[in-house]
Amino acid sequence: MAIAIFFVAAALAVAGGIGVITFRQPIRSVLSLVVVMIALSILFLLLSAQFIFVAQVIVYAGAVMVLFLFVIALLGPAKEIAKGRLRFQTWLSALFVLALFGLIWAMLQGVQYRQPEQTDLSTFGTVQSIGIGLFTKYLYPFELTSILLLVAAIGAIYLSRREGDDR
Amino acid sequence: MSTFDAGGSQLDTSWFLLLAAVLFILGTIGVLIRRNPLVILICIELMLNAANLTLVAFSRQLQNLEGQLFALMSMTVAAAEAVVGLAILVDIFRHRDVEDVDDLSELKG
Repeated sequence: MAIAIFFVAAALAVAGGIGVITFRQPIRSVLSLVVVMIALSILFLLLSAQFIFVAQVIVYAGAVMVLFLFVIALLGPAKEIAKGRLRFQTWLSALFVLALFGLIWAMLQGVQYRQPEQTDLSTFGTVQSIGIGLFTKYLYPFELTSILLLVAAIGAIYLSRREGDDR
Repeated sequence: MSTFDAGGSQLDTSWFLLLAAVLFILGTIGVLIRRNPLVILICIELMLNAANLTLVAFSRQLQNLEGQLFALMSMTVAAAEAVVGLAILVDIFRHRDVEDVDDLSELKG
């Protein structure tokens, strides 16, 4: 059962990824990315990472994707035109990507990760255990994260202000 | 708290790693061949998600929760990156009509 779920989710994720890079209209790329996010959240659940699953659905599939959709709505649906400039880029990138995939493939052959030994799944990956980790050992990075988000929010507001608003 | 087991412990970690590699490669292809800056940002999000999948997969393999915490942190960083990147894009698009990242080459000198 879990294997079937894995393969369905993996197929969805790969199909969505191919959709992201092949669709000409940005809005379709964004919607394909939502498919990828949902499929990945199912995989996180299979990996017994419940909190990451919830965060993935809310933060990524919810907030970040809505942000992308808003920006597309703001900028208008611009279709991408394939220009004739720098045609060799495509072939060069194909070569580069093949080399990269070969490297990753070779690395994956080196590791022989099988199934992990049974663990206590009543504690692993639950909100409780994540919270304990986040608020004790990793409290300092967690607090720094809030500063990062604040800086990002201020930067976004500053960058997207209107012309002539800077008094 | 009830035990939650989706049956995922029958799955090999290397399958997840392979899937993450495929998704990362797809994102790389998108960054390299697409011309719309917005789509390039979307492809970067795809690559970040693939990296997150490896983090969570290794977290389960090594029975160490820190991988999941790292995944949470990288999710935050990805959200901040998307916000700032999109704000820069909106600012650029407001000032001129860019339909190709090759048009943004002022820093080339």
